[in-house]
Amino acid sequence: MADYRLDCMGEACPVPLLKTQKKLSGLNIGDVLIVEIDHSCAMKNVPEWARKEGHNVDIEETGDGEWEIYIEKTK
Amino acid sequence: MANTVNQANTRTASARATAKKRRNQLPFAILLLIGIIIFGFVLNGIGVKLPIYWIFGISFGIVLQKSRFCFTASLRDPVLTGSTSLTKAVLIAFAIASVGFAAIQYSAVQAGNPVPGFVSPAGWHTAIGALLFGIGMVIAGGCASGTLMRVGEGFMMQWLSLIFFVVGSLWGAHDFSWWKATFMTNAPAVHFPSLIGWPAAIFGQLILLGALYLIADWYGNRRSSQNS
Repeated sequence: MADYRLDCMGEACPVPLLKTQKKLSGLNIGDVLIVEIDHSCAMKNVPEWARKEGHNVDIEETGDGEWEIYIEKTK
Repeated sequence: MANTVNQANTRTASARATAKKRRNQLPFAILLLIGIIIFGFVLNGIGVKLPIYWIFGISFGIVLQKSRFCFTASLRDPVLTGSTSLTKAVLIAFAIASVGFAAIQYSAVQAGNPVPGFVSPAGWHTAIGALLFGIGMVIAGGCASGTLMRVGEGFMMQWLSLIFFVVGSLWGAHDFSWWKATFMTNAPAVHFPSLIGWPAAIFGQLILLGALYLIADWYGNRRSSQNS
């Protein structure tokens, strides 16, 4: 049960998604990955992909146009 | 139920000392609104139609931004994430636009005027150009409307995209006569309603879009059931 941060600030779609997919595949079950993004498009497709994969997802807007996506790896 | 409990755990498990101070954006919004209205009146002094274009442009931008509508994602996400929600949204938009354009064109043709809008020659150059544009828009992170919308959002990487988008467009426009003479003059310009009649053209297009919608829907569900 560890927390990992992934900095995707300034990265345009679809780079945050690809980085998330890569990073998440290396984590253990129960780990939480926090993806920091500021691209509105990634705000849609990263959570959508993670939910589709069956992980627990939570989004928080930490600043104006900046979000953190919490992904708990479930499998 | 179990899902909500897990969601709560996700929240508490993570360190969240990251909340930044937010600036109140309301004063900027009011200033911007006043600016938009004043500029609309200025445009009205130059041309009567310009304020209509102005309001339409701003409305398009708001809808694009708020809906996270993205032509790039509509074609990229099925491959990347298996999600076809935007693909379906684009197909619905095409269907609505088809009906609207048909109404405009039909009334113009009935009145004896030439077909309004662009009826461009179609051929291999269309497919090759579309492929190049597709590669470009995935790398740049947005098509024309998507790039413009994110420029407005303040995403600075795409300010760079916009500059080169303008450079590329100007270059293309500069050499357009050569491209046209070399590739496009021999290709036929097809206006389907004139060729096969209005009902066949419109309903054929709607049936085609409907079929694509069903395929997209099936593909999206198939991918999600595979993963869960």
